[in-house]
Amino acid sequence: MSDWIAIGALAVVGLLIPIAMMTVSALLRPSVPETGKSTTYESGETPTGGTRIRFNIQYYMVALLFVVFDIETVLLFPWAVIYRPAVQAGVPMADLLWPMLAFVGILAVGLVWAWRSGAISWARSPRATSRKTTEDIN
Amino acid sequence: MAAAPAQLFPEFIVDTLGLDSVIGEVAASLVAAFVVGNIILAFTGVAGPWAKRKITAAFTDRIAVNRIGPYGLLIIPAAAVQLLAKELIIPEGVDRPSWDIAPVLLPASALLGFSVIPMGQLGPINLHLADPEVGFALVFAFASIASVSLVMAGYASNNKYSLLGGLRAVAQNLAYEIPLIVTAMSVVIFAGTLQMSGVVGAQTETLVTIAGVSIPSWYAFVNPFAFVLFLTANMAEIGRNPFDIPEAPTEIVAGYQTEYSSAYFVLFYLGEFVHIFLGGAILAVTFLGGASGPGPESISFIWFVVKIWGFFLFTQWARAALPRVRIDQLIEIGWKGMLVLSFANLVLTAVIVGVIA
Repeated sequence: MSDWIAIGALAVVGLLIPIAMMTVSALLRPSVPETGKSTTYESGETPTGGTRIRFNIQYYMVALLFVVFDIETVLLFPWAVIYRPAVQAGVPMADLLWPMLAFVGILAVGLVWAWRSGAISWARSPRATSRKTTEDIN
Repeated sequence: MAAAPAQLFPEFIVDTLGLDSVIGEVAASLVAAFVVGNIILAFTGVAGPWAKRKITAAFTDRIAVNRIGPYGLLIIPAAAVQLLAKELIIPEGVDRPSWDIAPVLLPASALLGFSVIPMGQLGPINLHLADPEVGFALVFAFASIASVSLVMAGYASNNKYSLLGGLRAVAQNLAYEIPLIVTAMSVVIFAGTLQMSGVVGAQTETLVTIAGVSIPSWYAFVNPFAFVLFLTANMAEIGRNPFDIPEAPTEIVAGYQTEYSSAYFVLFYLGEFVHIFLGGAILAVTFLGGASGPGPESISFIWFVVKIWGFFLFTQWARAALPRVRIDQLIEIGWKGMLVLSFANLVLTAVIVGVIA
């Protein structure tokens, strides 16, 4: 019997439970529309400007690094699975370790470079640092 | 060595009822999934309206829900009715349908993670839905879907706090996903398999015997350093204190939840609790021997419950005791601390396993 049938079954149940709760709620709840009620919350003030604006995502370099390291972990998983059986089967430990160390090492060098160039620090926007109110922080 | 693992839950139903067609298997799987889903829902039902309040009150020296029923337990149905009967306020300019999909996706993805978790036995029933060979990698994949839901909710809400919360959820995931998985990989090196039953089965061997009490080789005992590392990364993965940065009620007014009300809000709350329990279940399976414990195999579900509720209690303790870290601190902790430590742990584990194996 396939495991994936059971996983698919839980996916179906997992979707049905929230949808059922939404349906029950839709039958129970009142609807009293009022002007002002549907304004988005902005500390009780009338919202200023739109939300979908362009702004500095301060961790985009981190996001790029993440992709690199994520692929690394995916590629390391098969190695981790066969490591112990291979050692027990008599393969010399060095033969198993060096390729992994080289692979991790190359990325570690990359991480050191990113660290030194400040890529994994929170990028402070130039405007925020130039403002008088934030000058005394740093 | 442990005895051969019992039949999976859907197979048990198929055999007991004598179903043999594909339709029978699908039906049995759906019944099994429904039971598992409702067990988790029952946990969240007790945790959300009742246990969380009681625990927080005990930590802060206050009295919590005690009016309805014994120990205030009847607050659970009362809260359920009250929350579901709230008016749904749809804010201006929300991006539908993604605003509606996000609260479905969060609990669904967290529940899906339980499909591969061996939850132990209750009598003849082995509460384990599926045991694919990639189960251990799969559960992390399922647990990560939650971030997608948080980003959807944050972006679709048309609220600046929500947008910040969604973006913070991404930053948090970027910072902690790699240390979490690399630390889990050090367990895979020990176990030599990605199958959940294999990872749990490898932890049943006796590590040492002290004064007649045999200590099982749970990976928390074998490698306590990795356990602490994984616990920390897990707290960030599920977004609990001190890493509840995507919500941060005192900074960005609950972030992605700000514009949600009624059933939609309940679903976010529910999804978060399911996610906490999934985090506890992953921790239990990876480091605490899954559902194993003293006593007969047929009550091991009780040990599983004890372990994941222990983790829940730990998250609430952290919530009461630890200050929240800042978002820039989080990135530095993740990339300059945890990542380096997790790779060091991986290499050291590989060397140690290579020497003793």
